Amino acid sequence: MEILRLDHIEKHFGDVRAIQDLTLTVTAHSVFGFIGKNGAGKTTTMKMIMGFLPPSSGEIYVCGEKVNYGDTKTNRHIGYLPDVPEFYGYMFPEQYLELCGEIAGQKPTQIKKKVTQLLKLVGLKGVRRKIEGFSRGMKQRLGIAQALLNQPKLLICDEPTSALDPIGRKEILEILSKVSEQTTILFSTHILSDVERICDRIGILDQGKLIVQGNLAEIRSTYRQDTILIELADQNCPASFAAKLRSLPFVSEVVMKENTITIHLTDITKKAGKILELLAREQIPVIKYEVLEPSLENVFLEMIK
Amino acid sequence: MNGLLAFTKKEFREHIYNYKALILLAVFFVFGMISPLLAKMMPEIFSHMSIEGLTITITEPTYIEAYSQFFKNITQMGIIVILLIFSGILSRELTRGTLIIVLAKGLSRHAVILAKYFVALTLWTISYSLAAIINFGYTFYLFGQFYAPNLLFSLFCLWLFGVFILAVVMMTSTLTSGNYAGLLLTAAILGILLTINIFPTIKKFNPVSLASNNIALITNTKSVSELLITIWITLALSSFCLLISLIVFRRKKL
Amino acid sequence: MKEIMEYWPFLLPVIVIQVILAVIALVDLLRHKTYRFGNQFFWIIVVLFVQLIGPILYFTIGKRDS
Repeated sequence: MEILRLDHIEKHFGDVRAIQDLTLTVTAHSVFGFIGKNGAGKTTTMKMIMGFLPPSSGEIYVCGEKVNYGDTKTNRHIGYLPDVPEFYGYMFPEQYLELCGEIAGQKPTQIKKKVTQLLKLVGLKGVRRKIEGFSRGMKQRLGIAQALLNQPKLLICDEPTSALDPIGRKEILEILSKVSEQTTILFSTHILSDVERICDRIGILDQGKLIVQGNLAEIRSTYRQDTILIELADQNCPASFAAKLRSLPFVSEVVMKENTITIHLTDITKKAGKILELLAREQIPVIKYEVLEPSLENVFLEMIK
Repeated sequence: MNGLLAFTKKEFREHIYNYKALILLAVFFVFGMISPLLAKMMPEIFSHMSIEGLTITITEPTYIEAYSQFFKNITQMGIIVILLIFSGILSRELTRGTLIIVLAKGLSRHAVILAKYFVALTLWTISYSLAAIINFGYTFYLFGQFYAPNLLFSLFCLWLFGVFILAVVMMTSTLTSGNYAGLLLTAAILGILLTINIFPTIKKFNPVSLASNNIALITNTKSVSELLITIWITLALSSFCLLISLIVFRRKKL
Repeated sequence: MKEIMEYWPFLLPVIVIQVILAVIALVDLLRHKTYRFGNQFFWIIVVLFVQLIGPILYFTIGKRDS
């Protein structure tokens, strides 16, 4: 089922084309990672989905309903965590969540139950402190609690981990992966290891253009730059060996550094054995032979080159 | 509807928490109390200031004097306090971004404007009534008399002027961005209204007349019927300002 | 001066209110170290020496939102 669809979205700020022809679909029960550098247009896109900014052209559908700028009707399907969530500092977390529940039109008894449950989920249960005294991480967690209050079909998080320390990041990611069992999540980030941890689908945004979208595993294998790492027992590897490697038709690049050789291949599936054969034939002693997994970071850097 | 109610509740809570409700009540309480007192004490204050060779004769003050003081205090200081208290009612939330989450929860943009206007109106009405009631009581106590012709109508006129001012505040805070731009624009609009009030032909159509004829009304130098047109115009202008606020805020980029 | 003194029961509540507002403002501004503009010393002077209006100014345009 389709939860979110962006149809040929354009957004111009004066002469700047902040978003260019963005078409994107998020299906139910997926965790969609929206990746891009700062200023790539992630927040702008999310604000348009929320009806906070008007697209210059194109249409957005949430659960099949069209998003109208200035309207907040489609927001009842969505839970939204802004990049820097701002709360009413004079309230206690329960009071704030109760306000949100009432606004979302829930029944008082239902709100009470849900608030207790959510505060437990995000680890803010029993915090007797006004929100003004909260740390960044606590605010982020309260932000997630508020976003989940109306049992949204789609949870949108704008850079939920960017400003947090490693422990705070880990906590937020754990909460998100727990939540993903019931809800579709769209979350933006520039921290790629976060994406690798919880996303199953990704879209890479660069300078307002969506340059790739799809299944994370598929993208990895499509854009994989196959790499073999060899660690030699001997410090000085014969130069003739490197030359032989370079002469192979499926080898694109050879990098030698002390006793390690990094070999980039055009096709790993059939040709990896040939390298082993060559090593055996030349009788070069090897400590380690490893086929490197392509990291998303490499894919990303390759893509936005 | 649920959202409107919940957000109105939040607005009241906020005005209590940030002391704004307390300040309004305290200030208007002081106005109500001090006006008759000032009127009564005026001759004595002046008599102590008499400079040698100069005798100031002041007629014994009447209860009308007490009401003059009251209207003077409210139209000057009172309105300034109202402007200070309510000018940030929307802009503070916009500059901080606190509305993002509640709007994301499905609160309609109209509800934001309506709740804020309603709360401002209620606080103005309560504090103004408090001032008026205390002023009644003290005037009666100090002068033994409190009835003046058209007194209630005169009080109503000033109240309606406050209603208009609050509508202008709502409008300017949707039209501008930043913390003080709304306040400046409101002040500019009031300045223009005060300036054009020097033309006798326009006076009748200017809401400012509701705040400048209060004493004339209770001394019978101005009749109720003369101000009826002003009342209708003020009501129309207030609705217009509120309508503009609703339309502009709906289209506002957040 | 004697005549003015006889009004003190009326002036007292007014003075009490002014003092209460000034104290509330003072406590608040001592607890918060930053303001929308001006420094702590500036606001202490304003709150204590500008009757009635001082505390109002502090709460309306001086105090930073929490």
